[in-house]
Amino acid sequence: MSSAIAVARPVSEGFWKRGVRLIPGLLLLIAVGYAGKIIERSIATYGKAHHLTLPNIEYVLWAIVIGLLIANTVGVPKLFQAGIATYEFWLKTGIVLLGSRFLLGDVAKLGGVSLVLVAVEIAASLAFMTALGRAFRLKPKLTTLLAVGSSICGVSAIIATKGAIDADDEDASYAIAAILSLGAVSLFIFPLVGHWLHLSDQSYGLWAGLGVDNTAEAVAAGTLYSDAAGKVAVLAKTARNAMIGFVVLGYAIHWARKERNEEVSNKAAFLWRKFPKFVLGFLLISGIATAHVFSKDQLVSLANLSRWAFLLTFAGVGLRTNIGELGKQGWRPFFVGAIGEVVIAFLTLGLVFGADRLLR
Amino acid sequence: MTGETNSNRKKAPVFSLDSWAVILALALSGAIWIGWIKHVPW
Repeated sequence: MSSAIAVARPVSEGFWKRGVRLIPGLLLLIAVGYAGKIIERSIATYGKAHHLTLPNIEYVLWAIVIGLLIANTVGVPKLFQAGIATYEFWLKTGIVLLGSRFLLGDVAKLGGVSLVLVAVEIAASLAFMTALGRAFRLKPKLTTLLAVGSSICGVSAIIATKGAIDADDEDASYAIAAILSLGAVSLFIFPLVGHWLHLSDQSYGLWAGLGVDNTAEAVAAGTLYSDAAGKVAVLAKTARNAMIGFVVLGYAIHWARKERNEEVSNKAAFLWRKFPKFVLGFLLISGIATAHVFSKDQLVSLANLSRWAFLLTFAGVGLRTNIGELGKQGWRPFFVGAIGEVVIAFLTLGLVFGADRLLR
Repeated sequence: MTGETNSNRKKAPVFSLDSWAVILALALSGAIWIGWIKHVPW
């Protein structure tokens, strides 16, 4: 995959000539990504104007869908290919900047018992999803993406892990689509179940924060119940999110080891060469942000910069995704995602009930 | 022959794609911290 990246390719042509060659594709990435952003905003505005609670389908998925439609219908002329190939550079830049959104200090705010629940939820979900992916014979990297997507924080975790383990674009598109569509369903089901079980604001908020994958949906599912539940959901979700760096780091090391050839003599050097360095950049920015080096406004700007980078990235992912390849995977990844979501929802509900009884 | 092969051989880039991504992200973070970039809208 990396060989297709125009910005990293050592070519003999001049710097400016190379830069000019990237412009058409970059403009297409901006156009497709921005169209995705407009669709997301238009749906939110429509819902607000008509007092409807519509699922928040993020610009990321719209950018992929628009890109997919273009690439698999009219096709992408060669003129655009070099610029489109820069999408992986924007992915990695965006992931490093994403570190500013994951403050390690947020973990401490949640309290002891809830933190234990977060750790149990992440470990159990990763293990269950990995076993489920194997049972359904999914591709190992697609299984990894679905596992991190459902155990930590939906799209952000998938984005970060895709870069770290060098997963295929098709796998990332599929995992994002599965996690987002299933997250949209949980937005409606969680409040209904919460009211049916007469859960307290604290218990429900904790359940929403632990059980709903994507941050936007977790916060919305919590706030739909009550403001107090929404606040607990935000805390639980940010604690889960803060673990992203460690989990991605673990998977990066795991896949670097797994893809090692037998004839490699210097294992440490090989692992370092294969290890995605931007994961260290992500941890660095997260550490700097945790140390309160940036003001609140500056953190917002950094988070927005990462969103712009992902806007370009996922337009590129869509434009390079082959629907034929997606079709080969069939419905199994969706089944795995759906079964995983239901089991994780029950598991987290059980954890919250157990903790509630323990603390009474 | 060998000279021709050597001249045709592509040099490895000084920085990898990962490194450039980290450099750009850190440069942008620095520009925001210093105040050169005041606000990034979304």
